[in-house]
Amino acid sequence: MSVPQPKSLRDLPITAYATRPTSENNTGTWKYVEPRYEDRLPPCAQACPAGNDISRIILLLAGGDLIGAGRLLRSGNPLPATLGRVCPHFCERQCNRDLFGGSIAVHMIERFLGDLLLRDESAQEPVTPSGRKVAVIGAGPAGITAAYALALKGHEVEVFDEKPKPGGYLRTGIPDYRLPKEILDREIEFIERVGVKFIQGIRIGRDIGFEDLRSRFDAVIAAVGLHESRAFEVPGSNHRHIYDGVELLERILSGEIPELPSTVAVVGGGNTAIDVARSLLRLDVSPTIVYRRSETEMPAIASEVEEAKREGVGFQFLTTPIAVVIEDGAVVALECCKMQLGEPDASGRRTPVPIPNSEFRLPFAGIVAAIGETADLGFLRQAAANGKRSLDGFYIAGDASTSEGTVAAAVGSGRRVAAMVHSYLVNGGTTADEPTLQSLWPRKVNTALVAGPQYLNPAYFAPALRPEIAKLNGEQPPSSFAEIVQGFAVESALSEARRCLLCGTCNGCLNCYYWCPDVAVHRDSRNGAGLEIDSMHCKGCGICVEECPRGAMTLEEVAR
Amino acid sequence: MRTLLKGNGAVARAAQMAGVQVISVYPITPQTSIVEELADMVAQGRLNARYIKVESEHSALAACIAAASVGARTFTATSGQGLAFMHELLHWAAGSRLPIVMVNVNRALAAPWSLFTDQTDSLSQRDTGWMQIYCQSAQEALDSVIQAFEVSQRVLLPCMVLLDGFLLSHTFENVDVPEQGTVDSFLGPLKVPHMVDIANPAAIGGLSDPECYTAFRRKLQIAHEQALEVWADVGRQWGELTGRSYDVIEEYRLHDAELVLVASSTPAMTARVAIDALRERGIAAGLLRLRVFRPFPANALRRALSRKRAVVVLDRNCSFGHHGIFYQETKSALYELPAADRPPVRGIIAGLGGRDITPEDIEQMLLQGSGSEGLEPVTWWKTLPEEEAVEAEPCTATK
Repeated sequence: MSVPQPKSLRDLPITAYATRPTSENNTGTWKYVEPRYEDRLPPCAQACPAGNDISRIILLLAGGDLIGAGRLLRSGNPLPATLGRVCPHFCERQCNRDLFGGSIAVHMIERFLGDLLLRDESAQEPVTPSGRKVAVIGAGPAGITAAYALALKGHEVEVFDEKPKPGGYLRTGIPDYRLPKEILDREIEFIERVGVKFIQGIRIGRDIGFEDLRSRFDAVIAAVGLHESRAFEVPGSNHRHIYDGVELLERILSGEIPELPSTVAVVGGGNTAIDVARSLLRLDVSPTIVYRRSETEMPAIASEVEEAKREGVGFQFLTTPIAVVIEDGAVVALECCKMQLGEPDASGRRTPVPIPNSEFRLPFAGIVAAIGETADLGFLRQAAANGKRSLDGFYIAGDASTSEGTVAAAVGSGRRVAAMVHSYLVNGGTTADEPTLQSLWPRKVNTALVAGPQYLNPAYFAPALRPEIAKLNGEQPPSSFAEIVQGFAVESALSEARRCLLCGTCNGCLNCYYWCPDVAVHRDSRNGAGLEIDSMHCKGCGICVEECPRGAMTLEEVAR
Repeated sequence: MRTLLKGNGAVARAAQMAGVQVISVYPITPQTSIVEELADMVAQGRLNARYIKVESEHSALAACIAAASVGARTFTATSGQGLAFMHELLHWAAGSRLPIVMVNVNRALAAPWSLFTDQTDSLSQRDTGWMQIYCQSAQEALDSVIQAFEVSQRVLLPCMVLLDGFLLSHTFENVDVPEQGTVDSFLGPLKVPHMVDIANPAAIGGLSDPECYTAFRRKLQIAHEQALEVWADVGRQWGELTGRSYDVIEEYRLHDAELVLVASSTPAMTARVAIDALRERGIAAGLLRLRVFRPFPANALRRALSRKRAVVVLDRNCSFGHHGIFYQETKSALYELPAADRPPVRGIIAGLGGRDITPEDIEQMLLQGSGSEGLEPVTWWKTLPEEEAVEAEPCTATK
């Protein structure tokens, strides 16, 4: 740089100033670390078994794009109105907002968007047919999701299901007070509009042979769920007033009002036990849950347990049935043994251990066994009998493969398996690996980095309380199967969305732009948030990263 | 109008009358009541200024630098640790030639913690390019703050006005507060010739080559040399308007004195009592008060101290590893006198951390300094004897 030298002090200004732009000085070359826009995986999305891009959905909603938010949600999950009602919302347990006024009511937002889409009659974008055919066995949440995802890719999908109507356990196992069936019907109608064909009343292995199915379709997905109840084997368990929980729920849900004794023990601690007990309450039966561990170890959704207690379901913990007591041909009691908790088992829960000589009787006139379910993959025996050790183009989705036991996990599994099947179909028969979360999302996120609370800048978040969730104010015990939880109005949904911290998710708040001391953050429309770092002038001070409220920036060493 | 004011109150009134436009401060004992009063004035509409709250003294001065750069009359105040925290920006303000006025209420620096006064905080900032004015009374504090605005804008140098913590900041005295019209006629409009002009964008204070850098630094030095004359000039003008004239140094019974105390700030006020007492006993004692310390009035000192029989310099500060700072500076000025005219000079370090300096102390300092009882070249006044200090119980902090 050549500057004319002053000849005397008088030629110099009072202090140094230059009228040439300072951008000539490429101060960015000094840095050894450099900021980068990089969305991290929010803890909610990490926890979501369905693989929903929760923060991006909420970001759209908070910006007032209701339909956009709903469609993004439904792009990966065809059952948002259903899941918003029945999911135990793992997301909310990990929510960073919990530190500042209570976790975001994500399930209420999901339900709001799902309900909104039930009224969305707009036509689907036409897809180019691929010419490939996929069969799905089972019209439960995993099968539905896989079918939907593959139909969106242009494949021809047929779903075979043995029940009269699609829905699987959503229809046969979840009581109406949690999930009104017209909601499910509407969501399934939408899936049919996308092009999925449901063929009901068909059981594979009985009505159609498995190998027959495989020969007619390019790929087959088994999503048969867990429908086989574990046997309740104690003396006296073959009495006609001993019921199978899954079966009993299905009967009740089909509209039948079974004749039942007035006091019933429901044996088990899972969601089936709770659903049966609460349904029985509504049929004027007095149910008591008998569970061998304590409340802490119950696999049922905690809020459902709370509701059951509130409604008047009895609980008998640390108790195992050992025999049904029958007198004069009638069930009169359940002979039980008291338990204590021992060492943790493989699931991390403490194992119940019988207390010697602690037998006692609880008076009941009927017993419902809800002690767990297993998958029935009997049709595979046919394939195995034919000497098959591996099957091209055959996949298992949902509870039958994962045993997770939640609708969200079934949806997530259906989604992932669909991605594998699609890859198998387009890549000419090569089976892909289990897809990553990133591969399921249209936006770019570093899913290896979770935006935990340590990445948030709490200075930017004022505490704001989680809203009360309205519930039907009925008599106790309840007599109706009417839906209990009431949905959000649009104002509540928007204000809840705006309460979301959007962890790890750039929302273009421009903090980086305002704070940059080197004026090296430029607003530009070339990327999503419209922000760009001028690498030639960014000195790597890291202020933008520190001041990003939501951990959507990363500082990394510059490679030299 | 005569008004009962604390030193800090006098400062706030002066800033108000000077019409400051931007105040950016961070509160610290014993400066706090200045910024509280200014905040009240702004909140109540008695002062039309932007009051910028910040999270640190570093930011306070940064905000003042920005404000002065756009031509606003700018004021800040701090004490002790706060001034230390401003250090980097003190250089920026002076190098940028910005007429910022700051009051520093002298407070001893940690460690150990002290709330009370000594001058090491401001004297540690001696070489930052700021002017420094040490006040002995609330009246002088009020007068000096107003004068500081005038001098600063004439020479384009920032100015620090110093008050002893508590002894001056928190003691009341009758202060003659001038009419606003008087101040308005005295204080000319602020012109910052190099203020930011958005019509002509420029990068200010950027990288300078060594030749230019040296030249800018030379200009800063020349401004200080000129400032000495301007202080004397402005002090005279103020006297014409108010009856209270000021010079860069102040003499008390000095003309015919043989034995001279060089002091600053409130001990200089105390010293008058001691000098009167010595005079009554027939000892020709006198006082030279250093008021303007930067720029340093070396010529005035040489004139006033030439051929005195003995000079004792009182330092409420210490440059550790050497000795009192006023003592060093006085000696350095007197060295330029012909050897025959050069008086013997003794230094005394006293009153650190707010310790009292009484008239009796000063009498004894002068008597011992006169030679008959003998002072060391530098004496730490009334400290524990060294041997005993080693054997004594360690001093512990009081609750």
